[in-house]
Amino acid sequence: MDVIKHIKNKRLIFDGAMGTMLQAAGLEAGGLPEVYNIEHPDTVLEIHKKYVEAGADVITANTFQANALKLDGCGYSVQEIITAGVRLAKESGAEYTALDIGPLGQLMEPMGTMMFDEAYELFRQQLAAGERAGADIVLFETMSDLLEVKAAVLAARENTSLPVFVTMTFQEDGRTFVGCDPISAAVTLSGLRVDALGVNCSLGPSQLMPVIDKLLEYSRVPVMVQPNAGLPAIRGGRTVYDITPDEFSKYMSEIAEKGAAILGGCCGTTPEYIKRTVSAVSDIPFKIPARGKLTMASSGTNTVIFDRGVTVIGERINPTGKKKLKEKLREQDFGYLVGEAIAQKESGADILDVNCGLPEIDEARTLTRAVKEIQAAVDLPLQLDSSDKDAIEAAVRIYNGKPVINSVNGKTESMDAVFPVAQKYGAVVVGLCLDENGIPETAEGRLEIAERIVRRAADYGIPKEDIIIDCLVLTASAQQKLVIETIKAIRLVKEKLGVKTVLGVSNVSFGLPARPILNSVFLSAGFGAGLDSAIVNPMSEEIMRSFRAFKVLNNQDSDAGEYIARYADYKAEQQTAAAAKVPAGEMEGVGLKSMIIDGRRDLARSMTIELLKTKDPIRIINEHFIPALDVVGDRYENGTVFLPQLIQSAEAVKSGFEILKESSSAAGGGKGRIILATVKGDIHDIGKNIVKMLLENYGYDVIDLGKDVPPEEIVKAALENDIKLVGLSALMTTTVKSMKDTVAALKEAGSNAKIVVGGAVLNEEYVEFVGADYYGKDAGMTVKIANEVFGHNS
Amino acid sequence: MSQKIQLDKSEVLRYLGHKNQNFDKSIDAVIDGCMDEIVKISRYRYIYKVFDIKIGFESGQSCIELQGANLKLTGNDIYEHLRDCRRCAVMAATLGIETDNAIRIAQSTDMLKAVVLDACAADMIEKVCDLAESEIRSSAEESGYAINYRFSPGYGDLPITTQKSLLAALDAGRRIGLTLTDSSLMVPGKSVTAIIGFTKDYSVKPKKRGCSVCSMRKNCKFRKAGSTCGRN
Repeated sequence: MDVIKHIKNKRLIFDGAMGTMLQAAGLEAGGLPEVYNIEHPDTVLEIHKKYVEAGADVITANTFQANALKLDGCGYSVQEIITAGVRLAKESGAEYTALDIGPLGQLMEPMGTMMFDEAYELFRQQLAAGERAGADIVLFETMSDLLEVKAAVLAARENTSLPVFVTMTFQEDGRTFVGCDPISAAVTLSGLRVDALGVNCSLGPSQLMPVIDKLLEYSRVPVMVQPNAGLPAIRGGRTVYDITPDEFSKYMSEIAEKGAAILGGCCGTTPEYIKRTVSAVSDIPFKIPARGKLTMASSGTNTVIFDRGVTVIGERINPTGKKKLKEKLREQDFGYLVGEAIAQKESGADILDVNCGLPEIDEARTLTRAVKEIQAAVDLPLQLDSSDKDAIEAAVRIYNGKPVINSVNGKTESMDAVFPVAQKYGAVVVGLCLDENGIPETAEGRLEIAERIVRRAADYGIPKEDIIIDCLVLTASAQQKLVIETIKAIRLVKEKLGVKTVLGVSNVSFGLPARPILNSVFLSAGFGAGLDSAIVNPMSEEIMRSFRAFKVLNNQDSDAGEYIARYADYKAEQQTAAAAKVPAGEMEGVGLKSMIIDGRRDLARSMTIELLKTKDPIRIINEHFIPALDVVGDRYENGTVFLPQLIQSAEAVKSGFEILKESSSAAGGGKGRIILATVKGDIHDIGKNIVKMLLENYGYDVIDLGKDVPPEEIVKAALENDIKLVGLSALMTTTVKSMKDTVAALKEAGSNAKIVVGGAVLNEEYVEFVGADYYGKDAGMTVKIANEVFGHNS
Repeated sequence: MSQKIQLDKSEVLRYLGHKNQNFDKSIDAVIDGCMDEIVKISRYRYIYKVFDIKIGFESGQSCIELQGANLKLTGNDIYEHLRDCRRCAVMAATLGIETDNAIRIAQSTDMLKAVVLDACAADMIEKVCDLAESEIRSSAEESGYAINYRFSPGYGDLPITTQKSLLAALDAGRRIGLTLTDSSLMVPGKSVTAIIGFTKDYSVKPKKRGCSVCSMRKNCKFRKAGSTCGRN
C-alpha cells in the first residue's frame, strides 16, 4: 500500500528517538549524529532494526541535520550522508522509509538573515538526494517557523513526488520559538496541502494535549504526534525523561482515540516506548476526525476565523487616490507602509489589504517587498490585492501564513489565472460579482456570478470555504436605485451558496458629503443581511463604531468587554476632543524651538501647524528645527542631556517635519541624498536608525537600504542615485570585514561617494582598515560629517 | 524557569548613558513602561551542561577540551580562566525572539521606546544570566566545587566562532531556540553564552573578569566616560 492510502485507512506508527539512542552509543554532545551513517553504519542499522522489531511501520533515516550548513566541515557531502542514511533505514526491513529533515539552524528574515530562496535551495538538495536514495516520505520535523516550512514544502512539491509530512515543535505556552500557534500551523499547512501535519518534541504527551486538540480541530489533513518521553531532567549529569514506556503508551492511546492518524516518539523514546504504544493502540478503532469547514486566513503567528464574527479588513495600503502613498511607493520607501500597517492594527483592523499597483513600478517586486516589510511589523493576516497575476504569485509565494487574494471575478480568464495559484499556496480568494458584461444590476445576476466562481474554484480543488464573495457596492450619488441590490445579493449569496462575504463599503458615498455617515449606515445594513467582513478605513471612528456596536449585538464581543473598555468614558471623550491645543503665549516663534529642546512631540506638532500659517517651511526648518537640534546636540555632546532626551527632541522635529511634508511635498529635504545601510551579515540596526532620524531632521534625504545589505546592492543604489555620502554600520567585529568589502566594492565600481562608518565595535583605527573617509562616532557627529561633505557648514 | 525577573532601573539608566542629568516625567514614564513590557513579553530560557575538562596544547596554543563534547576552547584568556579548574559549565541564555520583534517594531513607530526597550532587554538578559549562574553555583557546591565567573566567546582571544560548537554542544537550537548566523551573530539578539569554571580551591574568590579581556575595551562608551559597564 502506498503511504498516502495507508494514512487514510489505518494508523501509521513511526519510530522513536535516534539521537537518544546514538548518545547512549557514545555520540558526543554537539557531534553530528549523521556522520554515523558513514562511520558507524552498524550502530545506526541496529537502532533502526530495534524499532522495526518494536513494531514501527516507518523508519526515519538518520538525516535530521544533513543540510549543507550543518554538514559544513564534517568531511562528507549532503548527498553522501543522505544516501547512506536512507539506505540504512531501508535495510532495516521497515515498511516505509522517511527522509528526515530538521530546521536549517538559522532563522529566516527579518528575525535572522536566511532568505526564502536560500532556504528553498538547501532543502532542495536534501530532498533530491533523499528521493534518489529511495525514501518513501519526507518528514520535516521540529520546525518552528512556518515560513521556513513553506520553503521546505515548496521545495519538496516542486522537485520531488515524495509525500510530505510536517511536524512543528511547541513550547509550554503553546507557541513555537518564533511565536507560531497550532491553529496558524494547521491552517497554513493544510492550505499548502501537505499530506500530514502535527507536533513533535519539546514536551511529553500530557503537556501536548491542548496543542493536539487544536491541530485535530483545525487540520484538513491527517494529524501526526511524536512527543518526547515526558519532560527532561538532569540526573547524574545525564538527561533523562520523566515518564515510563507504559505511561507513554497510555497517553498515546488517548491521542489515538482523539483521532491522530500517525503516532511515534521523539527525544527519550527508546524502542520500548514504541513497542508499548503499538500494543496499546492496536485495539483502538481508526477514525478520521470530522473536518471543520471554516474560512480562515493566517499570518505566521495569528489566524482570523471569519466564522467567528465580523472581520475588519484595513484598506489604507492602496495608492488609488493617495498622493503620499504613491510617492512612497515610487521611492520604494516602505517605512511609510509599515507605519500605516501598525496604525490600522492599533485601530482595530483584523486583516490588512495590501495593494502596490502603480503603472510605473515593478508591481511583483514592490508587492513582495511590501509583504515582507509589513509581516515583519504586524502579525495580522494580509489580503494581497492586485490585478497582476505575476505580482500575486510572487507575493503569495513568500507570504508567511495563509493569505487572502483580492481578487478574481466571473470572467473565465481571471479565474483560470488566479485559481491555480490559490490552490497551490492554499490562499483564500475574494470573488467579485462582475464579468465581461460588468456588474449585474440585480441581486440574482450577482448570485449567478458568485455561483460560477464557487463552481470553478471547486474544479481547481478549492473548497468553498476558501472563497469570499464581494457583491460589490454601487455609488448612491450615481446609481441610487441599485444600492439596495447589494444588500439583497449578500442575503442571497449567504443563503444559496453558504459562503462568506466581503464588501468595500466606502464606494457607496462617493460624491456625497459626510461620507462616514453613509458608509457606516450602509455597513450596518450589510451586517443585517449577513455580511461577514468589510474593507474599510479602520482609522475612521464612525466605521469602527459600527463594527464595535455590531460585535456587541452579534454576541461576538463577549460581555461587551471591548465596547465598554472603549466607550466607558464616551461623554468625556467628546468633551475633550478639542484638547491638545497650543498653550497661549507660546505661539511666537521662540516657543517651537524650546518645545523641541524639551522634546514635547505633540506641542511641536501643533505649533508647527500654527507657524505654517505665517512662515514657509524652509524658514521653519532653518529658524526653529535646526537651531533647536544644534542646542540639543551640543548638550548631548557635553553630557548635560542623555540619549533618550536627544531622541525625544529628534522625534519632536520628526513630527514637525511630517506637518511640513503634508503641506508641500517639496518641503524639507533637499540638502542632499545619503545612503545608510547595516552591512551584510549584520542585523543590529538600531544605531543606524537613530542616525537616519537625525539626518532627516537636518533636512537630508536618506535612502535606507536596511540591514544585512550585500555590497552589490549598496553599490547599485550609490551609482543609480549619484550618491555623495554613504553611511555604513556594523556592530560586530565579524562584520567589519563586510564593511571593508563594501567600501572596496564602491571604489571599484567608480563611486566617488565619501564613506562614513559607525557602530559599536568601530573606532578611529578601523576607518583606515576598512578604507572609509570618516568615523561617525554618534548621530551628531554623522550630521556634522554630512554638513561638511555637502557644504552646509554654518 | 517561570521565576519573575526584576529589572534594575539604575542599570537601565546606565545602559542609556545616564549619569546625573535631570530628565522629565515623560521619559521616566517611558522607562517604567518599557521595563514592565520587556518583563512581560520576554520568554526567557536558559540551559547549561557541565563537562570535565582536559587542558592541552594544539598548534602552539593552549587548548581546552571538554570531555564528552565536540568542543575545544583555544586561546590564552580561556586558559587563564580555566587553568585551575577540572570542570566547567557551559551555559546559554536568551530572552526569545519576542524581544527582538518588539524592539524592531518600535523602531518604525517610536524610536525613544525602541532605545529604552533595548536598554531594558540588556539589563534583563544579565539578570537571566545571574539566575542561570546561581543555579550553576548551587549544583557546583553540591559536588564540592566553587565557581569562577562567566566568560564568553569573543572576550579576549577566545574566538567568536566558538559559538557554533558551543551552541551545538548544548543543542541550543532545539532546546531554547537559540541560533547563529553565518557571521556568528546569535539570534535572538538578546542572548548570552558563557563558560564558568568549577574549582576545588575555595580560596579562589570569584575573580573579576575585568576590562582587560573584553572585546569592547577600545571602544567602550563606559570606559570613555571613566567608568565600566559593571559586568566585571
